[in-house]
Amino acid sequence: MFMKTFEENWTAWVDGKLSDAERAEFEASLDDRVAAEAEKNQAHKLGALLREQLQPRAMGNEEFFHHQLRGRIAAEMKESVPRRATAARESWWTIRRLLWTGASSLALFAVCTFFVMREKPTPSQSQYLTQILNARVDPNVSPYATVSIFQTKQDRVTVLWVDGLKSLPPEYATK
Amino acid sequence: MCCRLLVFAAGLGLFCVVIPGARADENVWSGLVVATNAAHQTPTPPEMHQLRETLQRTFGYNQFEVIGQSRKVLQTGEENWLASSKHFSLHVDARGPSRDGYRLRLQLFQDRQVLLETDATLSKSSPLVIKGPQIGAGQLLLLLVVQ
Repeated sequence: MFMKTFEENWTAWVDGKLSDAERAEFEASLDDRVAAEAEKNQAHKLGALLREQLQPRAMGNEEFFHHQLRGRIAAEMKESVPRRATAARESWWTIRRLLWTGASSLALFAVCTFFVMREKPTPSQSQYLTQILNARVDPNVSPYATVSIFQTKQDRVTVLWVDGLKSLPPEYATK
Repeated sequence: MCCRLLVFAAGLGLFCVVIPGARADENVWSGLVVATNAAHQTPTPPEMHQLRETLQRTFGYNQFEVIGQSRKVLQTGEENWLASSKHFSLHVDARGPSRDGYRLRLQLFQDRQVLLETDATLSKSSPLVIKGPQIGAGQLLLLLVVQ
């Protein structure tokens, strides 16, 4: 076999793990047997004390609940890590699906826009009034005719007012 | 696959651009009206309901009789038409859409003689009224309304 170091033998001796022959041999090799025994006793006492003090304490209800909760969170986190890894490997958003989704969204937007704009009441009044750009009366037919233009903003009516045209008899009012 | 998507997207784009800007066909009513004062008024033609008060206030007559009229649906804005009575006719030559209506050239004929010529931009919701010659105790009025 192989030679154990002094520390290994010491530890085994303190723990009582050496065989009789080994123990006798090791004890014979000790310079100060009394001090070693004292130290061994101290180690035993310390071990007993630690075993006594480090016993798991009985938990109250609240602590027990927290303990259970932490345990569940830890378990779920362990589960979610592989799931995320799988999602990264196989995403549902393929290029094709992305394109189709984008196109469908645009189509939906266009249809909604169309209906919204169709239902929107058109303004009843435009901001522009009718404009007379020019007016001409034949001077040979009506030499004294004058033309004026005005707008009634309230009624939004543009009037081309022609005076001086030749008056006509009532029969000209026939259909 | 990509081609189909591109065609689809192009169609959609066209739809989005064209539909909102589409101009509906509009109806222009042109009328030759004789305004008079009468003790017993006859009902005003429906085309003139909105204008009645304005005409009454502006010209001082209380009765309006349509002696000639025309309704034209404008599709290109470059149509022309005629509203006529026995002795008068109003020739309207539309010369294309303007910012908010149509550019028009108007000619008023008495029999075959041109009494008046004018260029105007007829706006929607803003009627045009032209005061024509005196006829007996009444007045000839020319009306143009985008309906």
